[in-house]
Amino acid sequence: MAPTKEITLTIDEQKVTVPAGTTIFDAARINGIPIPTLCHQQNETPVGVCRVCVVDVGARVYTAACIREAENNMVVKTSSDKVKAARKTLVELLMADHPSPCAREQQSNDCELEALAKNYSVGTPRFAKRLTPSHLKDESSLSIMVDHSACILCDRCIRGCSEIRHNFVIARQGKGYAAAISFDADLPMGSSSCVSCGECMVSCPTGALTNKKVLGQKLEQGAALSGLSVEAQELLELPVFKGVSGTFLELNKGAVVKRTYRKGEVICREGDYGSTAFYLVEGTVDIFISTPRAHVDTEGSQDGFLSKLASKLKPRKEHQREEENTARKFIFIDAPVDLEYDHPVAKLHAGDLFGEMTCMNFYPRSATVVASEDVVCLEMLRNVLDVLQKNKTFRAKLDADYRVRALETHLKSVPVFTSLTQDFIDHLRDRVELQRFAPGQVICRQGDPADSFYLVRIGFIKVSEDHPGGELVLSYLARGNYFGEIGLLSDEGRRTATCAALDHVEVVKIHREDFREMVGRFPQVRASLEAVARERIEENRSRMHNLQSVPVDDFLKQGLMDAQSLLVLDLDRCTRCDQCVKACADAHDGITRLIRDGLRFENYLVATSCRQCRDPLCMVGCPVGSIRRRNSLEVIIEDWCVGCGLCANNCPYGNINLHEFPAPAGSTGHKATVKKATSCNLCYDHPEPSCVYACPHDAAHRINPPEFFGKILGGKQVEGIPYSMAPGMMDRRK
Amino acid sequence: MFLRGSKVIPVAIPGTSLAQPSSAAHNTDGIFEDLKAIQREFGYLPVDKLQAIADARSMHVREVYAVASFYPHFHLTAPARVNIRVCTDMSCHLRGANVLKRQVQDRLYGYSGTDCSIREISCLGRCDGAPAVLISSKTEEQIYDNITSDRIADAVVRNLSGEPLPHTRPERLRQELHSDPYVGTPKYRVLYSLVQTGDFAGVITQLKASALRGMGGAGFPTGNKWEIVRNCTDNEKYVVCNADESEPGTIKDRFIMQHLPHLLVEGMIICGLVTGAKKGILYIRHEYEHPQDACQDEIDACYKDGLLGKNILGSDLDFDLSIFVSPGGYICGEETALIEAIEGKRSEPRNKPPFPVYQGLWHKPTALNNVETFALATVILARGVDWFKNYGRKGSPGIKFVGISGEVRNPGVFEVPMGITYDELINGYAGGPLPGKTIKAFAPSGPSSGYLPASMLNLPLDWDTMSKPPVSSMVGSGAIVVCSNEACMLDMALNAVKFYRNESCGKCVPCRVGSQKLVDMLTSWTQGKQNPTDLQALEELNQALSLTSICGLGQIVPAPIQSVMRHFRDEIDAHVKDKECPAGVCRIGGS
Repeated sequence: MAPTKEITLTIDEQKVTVPAGTTIFDAARINGIPIPTLCHQQNETPVGVCRVCVVDVGARVYTAACIREAENNMVVKTSSDKVKAARKTLVELLMADHPSPCAREQQSNDCELEALAKNYSVGTPRFAKRLTPSHLKDESSLSIMVDHSACILCDRCIRGCSEIRHNFVIARQGKGYAAAISFDADLPMGSSSCVSCGECMVSCPTGALTNKKVLGQKLEQGAALSGLSVEAQELLELPVFKGVSGTFLELNKGAVVKRTYRKGEVICREGDYGSTAFYLVEGTVDIFISTPRAHVDTEGSQDGFLSKLASKLKPRKEHQREEENTARKFIFIDAPVDLEYDHPVAKLHAGDLFGEMTCMNFYPRSATVVASEDVVCLEMLRNVLDVLQKNKTFRAKLDADYRVRALETHLKSVPVFTSLTQDFIDHLRDRVELQRFAPGQVICRQGDPADSFYLVRIGFIKVSEDHPGGELVLSYLARGNYFGEIGLLSDEGRRTATCAALDHVEVVKIHREDFREMVGRFPQVRASLEAVARERIEENRSRMHNLQSVPVDDFLKQGLMDAQSLLVLDLDRCTRCDQCVKACADAHDGITRLIRDGLRFENYLVATSCRQCRDPLCMVGCPVGSIRRRNSLEVIIEDWCVGCGLCANNCPYGNINLHEFPAPAGSTGHKATVKKATSCNLCYDHPEPSCVYACPHDAAHRINPPEFFGKILGGKQVEGIPYSMAPGMMDRRK
Repeated sequence: MFLRGSKVIPVAIPGTSLAQPSSAAHNTDGIFEDLKAIQREFGYLPVDKLQAIADARSMHVREVYAVASFYPHFHLTAPARVNIRVCTDMSCHLRGANVLKRQVQDRLYGYSGTDCSIREISCLGRCDGAPAVLISSKTEEQIYDNITSDRIADAVVRNLSGEPLPHTRPERLRQELHSDPYVGTPKYRVLYSLVQTGDFAGVITQLKASALRGMGGAGFPTGNKWEIVRNCTDNEKYVVCNADESEPGTIKDRFIMQHLPHLLVEGMIICGLVTGAKKGILYIRHEYEHPQDACQDEIDACYKDGLLGKNILGSDLDFDLSIFVSPGGYICGEETALIEAIEGKRSEPRNKPPFPVYQGLWHKPTALNNVETFALATVILARGVDWFKNYGRKGSPGIKFVGISGEVRNPGVFEVPMGITYDELINGYAGGPLPGKTIKAFAPSGPSSGYLPASMLNLPLDWDTMSKPPVSSMVGSGAIVVCSNEACMLDMALNAVKFYRNESCGKCVPCRVGSQKLVDMLTSWTQGKQNPTDLQALEELNQALSLTSICGLGQIVPAPIQSVMRHFRDEIDAHVKDKECPAGVCRIGGS
């Protein structure tokens, strides 16, 4: 290289010599003359947009020192009265619209704009404040808070995102006074391709992009839990944290804790609530379900309703329930492996991540994890997990792990795919796409062309149909379920329903071409898929049919028309003798599933018992997917219920209960009792529900709402209007 | 092919084939054609289609969105079936655009927002036919001048029932043009002889001798500009013509392109040969449909006659010329912003230096001139330097095209000698004020020149006289706008500042925020409210705007209010002290 040419110029009456190509800003800085700026950072390409660094070089107008190269013999004034006055006006203009003190000023007292305003003695701005913000606050990201009103469009985040991190998410959008930063195609930050590297909030001079302290909580430390807060530097040395912003980790100190467990120690227990995920750094662990695989069964002779009966736990081999999902060989858990029904134990190794669902969606733990040797792991909160999952390196590893270890069992555990051959699974391995969706994001929309088939990997999918009055929820799909086959199998090739992520969702996407090949090569798979598709269509159709004629009444507002089946008490006949409640308790180990209170309508009391809702909220969140609906729409709880109680909490009508049983001898669990959820099963194995049977006054009835209320409202079937158009429904659905 | 990695991305957009960028480094090249094609098909730009464009061009969707959201011409959500856009800038404002807008609203009352929408739009370049209105549907766009609310309502109702929008015809020539050296003789004489002689340096000598300067308003000597580009050693150079005139009152380039396209095309080819550029781009605003056709016809004819393309007239010289239709916006007329737009980016001005003559389009040396400059270069080379210089009066050399609009009887574009007085232009050429009115003020060059009082009508059309103190205005682009005694000058200042606010690109702080704050301040003045701090704040804001803005737009924002402060201070005081608008335009109090 040729020796660098030097130039000499005068800055504020000081002669300085710098290499040719140096900007005025740097020439001044090197020589101890500070020039204030908002948009310029040493590690980013200068853009000269804030104009705060303007200097007088003797031209008609001022020039931005950050971007203008110094020239030989140039005479620069950086702080003449006129320059300072212009600079002060710029700061005053920005301060007029600034939400002072902004989030950064409040958090860490270092908003660069507010500091500059103080420095330049900008008092209350004389200019009118922006009346309406061009954009509202964006709180969609788990780790970064976006406040557009504090944004001064310095483009530092944009350059941080693209030049420093090569993520290319942030850009300017719009024009003039309405211009703003945006993510991808103006998506909420949380739904965009942002990987939460944190560079933008590190770059931001104001409170426009700030760190969001998730949950306001820190992980517990201390000897008892053998946890140790981890320094950012130590984390960055781990391969999984490669590419994660050190500043982000620094800001979120305490959101990751390093824990060590001795052999045999329990790391987490099935059914427990939690909010963290674990990453295994060293050692192996056993992951298993200790609760016995069995369901609650109430034994008794068919004529002995009033005698005390005991419920027992029975596995499906002993007690085969109607329509029980016996074909299923695997239990899905919140880990990169699935467990076999007959032997629900697996091993996880260093590099494995588990507890993602619990961490992202706050669902209870799906399995118990015990250290099978001395173990070191990282326990992390949601924001750290989110950053990890968005990290390209880690993402790639998770995806690769899934393809190698889990895809096969995932496919094989779905009954319709049992006939797939090894070579085809191998073929799919590299062809499937793993996709993540944020809560509320639509995965496929009703009416759109069907281009792929999806398997649910993590989270819950809401399947709904659009109707004139709003959406009708068809079902919730959990891990092990799939969707998108109806559109692909049909001639129209269009989506028949809208599928959206209910929480943080991951799906396995199989493209149309591969799906076609699959159904072409495996007629059995095609037949099973078609059978299920038919069933689903039929189910939706009959549901719609039920909705065609229902009475128009305030009653709808109470959600009763959501119900498929209700227990009503005729209050004219009822003497409040409580025999129904006692009978129910007697029939169910002393725990009644019936509370003689509830909504009233004319002379009827709708007693609280499972309504078998059309929007069954109880099914959302089951960590092991053991609660589901039979085709008859009754809720059934499968044998692998771990007794976490989430469904009982979720049921808005309080109709799911937990039964406690002494733990069976020799169980692998660590608790004295096990819990199982039950709901009213209409005493399906009896000719009549025990409560109805027990009522001495013939006041209790089990009814179908549309039919029943149709009858009592005028003594005959009332000409109905479509359910969704009924008054009140539209508000309720919103 | 739309393959990227192993993932197959379905980007087949039915009926729409995406343009291919010229090279990987220029992956934004031609992006507006993609966006327009999609908007033609869907009526707006669905996000998944933006993603498809990004994928096909190896761009990130944020860049496509950043570009699409910059230009109001592109809809990011489905627009109404028929969109009515009323120009409310200077001339249209003076000729009752607001009344027209209200009438149209009344006439179309009852139509839903999905059927039609009525909004304001920036200057459409029909100032001589004010008020002007743009009506667009999914497939059509038409601009009407001298229009009534009845005709607008009729066109809208018919369009909603399936009829096409009424078509407009190109404007007709009303006067013989002295500047055209080729009336009755073969065209392109200069080019023929230049190819023969190869005396490119002679062209620069002649242009310098003629003292021809940039007619876009800045007035940089043309000969010098071409010489700099000629002396650059780069292989790749460009000639760009700025035909994006969008400043209120400016309509002269429309006129030249319509009636003298051959002078413009010849000027650009000559510039190409002189500077060594192989490619020329005529950047024309999309509202100029007919002038665009005229230029395209001229270019096609040149290709046919061997005046464009490879081996011009059998020589070893090459030059290609194509039209680039602007996606819209006044800021695109700023030379570096215009270059950014050609490159398929947000039309935001660059920090200068470097100037386009050294680093212009694709960062290559670029000779960028206004339509009139190229046309006059041809005139000078054809008629001779002496003819050109002697055409002007009283020591002001040259010929100029001026547009006169506002409250005059005979608005239009006129070819006039330099040195002529504004009195002669307005009261002579343009027929004087409208019946029953008197002239109160005139803007010699749209909002940028500020307003001068009628007492200054005797000023000559002379670069130096107009720009130097005590006048401190400008000849600019010759966009003369006349205000009558019925105009409120504070209202006119606000109208001009609003234009700048609307057209600010938002890149730099002073212009983005300052223009809005100035609008806020002047708006409250028109309502009779003035804070004690306002005058000082205004003075400081004006300084910041003119000294620190990146480009001419921000620097000129204070001009209208400064001129009104200077020449019509009593009108401002009447508003804020006496709570009265002398012209009865502003509504004060009213509560």
